[in-house]
Amino acid sequence: MENPTIVQLDHVSVTYQDLVVLEDVSLKVPCGSFLAIIGPNGAGKTTLLKVILGLVRPVSGEVRVFDKTPWELNGDRRRIGYVPQVMFVDLNFPVRVGEVVLMGRYGRIGLLRQPTATDHAAALRALECVGITDLADRPIARLSGGQRQRVFLARALANEPELLLLDEPTTGVDVTSTESLYELLHGLHEAGITILVVSHDVGVVASYVDGVACVNRRLVAHGRPDEVLGSAELAQMYGCDAMFFHHGRAPHLVVERER
Amino acid sequence: MTEILGYAFMQRALCAGVLIGAVCAMIGVYVVLKGLSFIGAGIAHASFGGVALGFLVGVNPVLTAVVFCLATAWGIGLVARKGQVKEDTAVGVFFASTMALGILFIGLMQGYNVDLFGYLFGSILAVTEQDLWITLGLGMGVLIVVGLFFKELVFVTFDPEMAEVTGVPAGKVYFLLISLIALTVVLSIKVVGIVLVSALIVTPAAAAYQLTEDFQWMMVLAVLIGVGSAVGGLLLSYPLNTASGATIVLLATSIFFIAGMVSPRRR
Repeated sequence: MENPTIVQLDHVSVTYQDLVVLEDVSLKVPCGSFLAIIGPNGAGKTTLLKVILGLVRPVSGEVRVFDKTPWELNGDRRRIGYVPQVMFVDLNFPVRVGEVVLMGRYGRIGLLRQPTATDHAAALRALECVGITDLADRPIARLSGGQRQRVFLARALANEPELLLLDEPTTGVDVTSTESLYELLHGLHEAGITILVVSHDVGVVASYVDGVACVNRRLVAHGRPDEVLGSAELAQMYGCDAMFFHHGRAPHLVVERER
Repeated sequence: MTEILGYAFMQRALCAGVLIGAVCAMIGVYVVLKGLSFIGAGIAHASFGGVALGFLVGVNPVLTAVVFCLATAWGIGLVARKGQVKEDTAVGVFFASTMALGILFIGLMQGYNVDLFGYLFGSILAVTEQDLWITLGLGMGVLIVVGLFFKELVFVTFDPEMAEVTGVPAGKVYFLLISLIALTVVLSIKVVGIVLVSALIVTPAAAAYQLTEDFQWMMVLAVLIGVGSAVGGLLLSYPLNTASGATIVLLATSIFFIAGMVSPRRR
């Protein structure tokens, strides 16, 4: 039986001034899935996440998240965890890891209220979950790329989300940290969280996810990783002949020749 | 030097100095971390229009400046949020036009008003008891609001998009912040002057930024540096016979450079 749909996009188009960023994208994310959104730079992947989050409104089409439009989510916002691209955050900001993670709950705590023991406990659980409890008092300026990424993941998890959206979580992160991050996401997926991850490292992503959506302004392909990654559409999207070799768990994208 | 503390005007100036030093530094932490220095300077210059309007219509200039600065802050915020022009462009437009309005108002006045000079560059002698009460009222107001919305202000300063996503009203908090900047500017202009107030907001916080990587500590240090500069500058300006506002700002600037030399952030 098909799981209930958690995110649904119907013929969604987004433009920034005159630039069409997304065009006629329809996508269904069933509850409990682990979906990768791949595509070249500037393909609208981040915009797709922002549409789901209600940060960007489409010019046409319909978006439903938890059966509501994203900008009317209100209390249901806490059911979504978001890990933005690290490069948009001021990494010299004087703030400690524990505080950043607790910030994830500020919206839920509400105005004019202080974090309670429950909130602190949730933040601590999130830190434990990503394995950085020992870094709680560390200023964020003094973290490695991999550690930083875990902090922002923990912040998203502090809200105990049912849907987790990640935007290029492995940018500026070394290979070992990338794999352990995906192992972590795999564990969260097993625990029942629906995950949507935007990535351009096609190879690593493929072995963990159960679905791949290729976006290049339009939704180019959508299906199981093995179907999508060998498809002609993908090769066409990257503008080159591409093949995937299954090598161990992770298939590798091999660019054969430029057109 | 102790005898100057016996003068009522000096006592008033010191009270105002402590309050202004603390409030400016506290707001300055958000201004420095969110990169709003230019907005601060723009709002400060807008207060010139407000002050001139006060003189023209014969009300306490601080009150007209409150209205004027809030309107300018919201104007900048709205234009910048609409996304038609960049934030600093919006500031640039308001910066000059509000000064121009001030000049226009002065032209409409009969005769030249000496007091206006005190507002431009600050003057200890100009602090009246009424000014002190207004400063105290506005200062307490700003402190209370910052206390009430402390966590939201930090979150929106650090990561506005994430704040929005998790249900914090980021847009409203941004407008609250620029309103607080406007009020801080107004309550400070009598002592440090329109031209120098943005330095008193930015400099202590910038000095504190270099000394710590902890937010609460940054705020504590900024307030200590702000109050220290305000009190030290006022006390120094009397025997040195220098302008109070300029002395305060230059003292804070010296602390900023010293902080830069000992900064653990240097790498």
